[in-house]
Amino acid sequence: MKLEILELKDRKAKFVLSEVTPAFANSLRRAMISDVPKMAIDYVDIYDNTSVLFDEMLSLRLGLIPLKTNADMYRFPAECECKGAGCALCQVSLTLSAEGPCVVHSRDLKSSDPETVPVDQNIPIVELKTGQKVVLTAVARLGNGKEHAKFQPVCASGYKNVPVISIGEKCDMCKMCIDACPRGVFKADKGKLVVTDLYKCSLCKHCIEACDTGAITLDTDNEAFIFTVETDGSYTAHDIIDSAMKSLKGRADQLSEIMSAF
Amino acid sequence: MIPVRCFTCGKVISEVWEEYRSRVEERKKNLQKGEVLKVGDILDDLGVERYCCRRMLLSHVELVDVLAPYQ
Amino acid sequence: MVYKCAHCKQTVEIDKDLQGIRCPFCGHRILVKERPTNIKRVPAQ
Repeated sequence: MKLEILELKDRKAKFVLSEVTPAFANSLRRAMISDVPKMAIDYVDIYDNTSVLFDEMLSLRLGLIPLKTNADMYRFPAECECKGAGCALCQVSLTLSAEGPCVVHSRDLKSSDPETVPVDQNIPIVELKTGQKVVLTAVARLGNGKEHAKFQPVCASGYKNVPVISIGEKCDMCKMCIDACPRGVFKADKGKLVVTDLYKCSLCKHCIEACDTGAITLDTDNEAFIFTVETDGSYTAHDIIDSAMKSLKGRADQLSEIMSAF
Repeated sequence: MIPVRCFTCGKVISEVWEEYRSRVEERKKNLQKGEVLKVGDILDDLGVERYCCRRMLLSHVELVDVLAPYQ
Repeated sequence: MVYKCAHCKQTVEIDKDLQGIRCPFCGHRILVKERPTNIKRVPAQ
């Protein structure tokens, strides 16, 4: 297995994983989407709401706000000592109280845990006109992406095969493919056609169409994958990849433990 | 109100909504007669890359002020 | 049952049998029910 990191930022990672099977690449993707637990608002207790939004709409909006998550500090309600009743080990409550005229932002949510706070401060929740009021308590808990999309720590995470572009000897340097390629993959270098940035290629086959001699062939490498991972800020991209792999490993360990009994 | 996340990919786009709106308004004010309003570079600058997220901001119409008198 | 008049915004207690659905202050025929004071639990999904 080989890993080449193209980009590693707080909220975005791009890397090439090679010498693995498509099944493994897909299991990593699926683990990132649905196996990394994340805090999100589960239900909202509304005391007063005279805003233009319905109670249900308001709570849906609140549920989608990403919260900074420290998964080591919290447990799933079902696995908690309180048996799902709700305690400080499995729940965080966020209160919101505002009166118009103002715009209520995600930063106005006051959390009972200073570490579990909205990641983005400027998300408008509702605009209040004079005399309108919103008073509520939102309760957040840990959840998995397979339960609801709000518990997914990643957005737009996926992979594609690494393209294989081969330029045959029939190439007559007409340079048609250089203009045809929308991503600018080709370059003429010292009288020869070369591929500059292979990972940019989107396999659109415009170059094949443009080539009169049929010198260019496109294929995909089934053992190398370009991954893109974008997080919503609840974790860093690095942490998500790490805990996704740990959850896969944990499952394999579980299985081998069961098998050892036979 | 602007949706919190992009419908398609789930990226939180409402974070940049207020800045986007104020920058577009600023540009509208300084627009020459007959000039077409272009906001692509503002979206790029705010980190809204994909077309699914871009349409969220581009096509949004704020309805709160329309609804408010009928409370 | 306490309602609010949609026209003059006054709190109205109505007696259906006596006068029908009508605001005693302005005669408006549209009354709205006020939000109850209990806490409403709404799931965020």
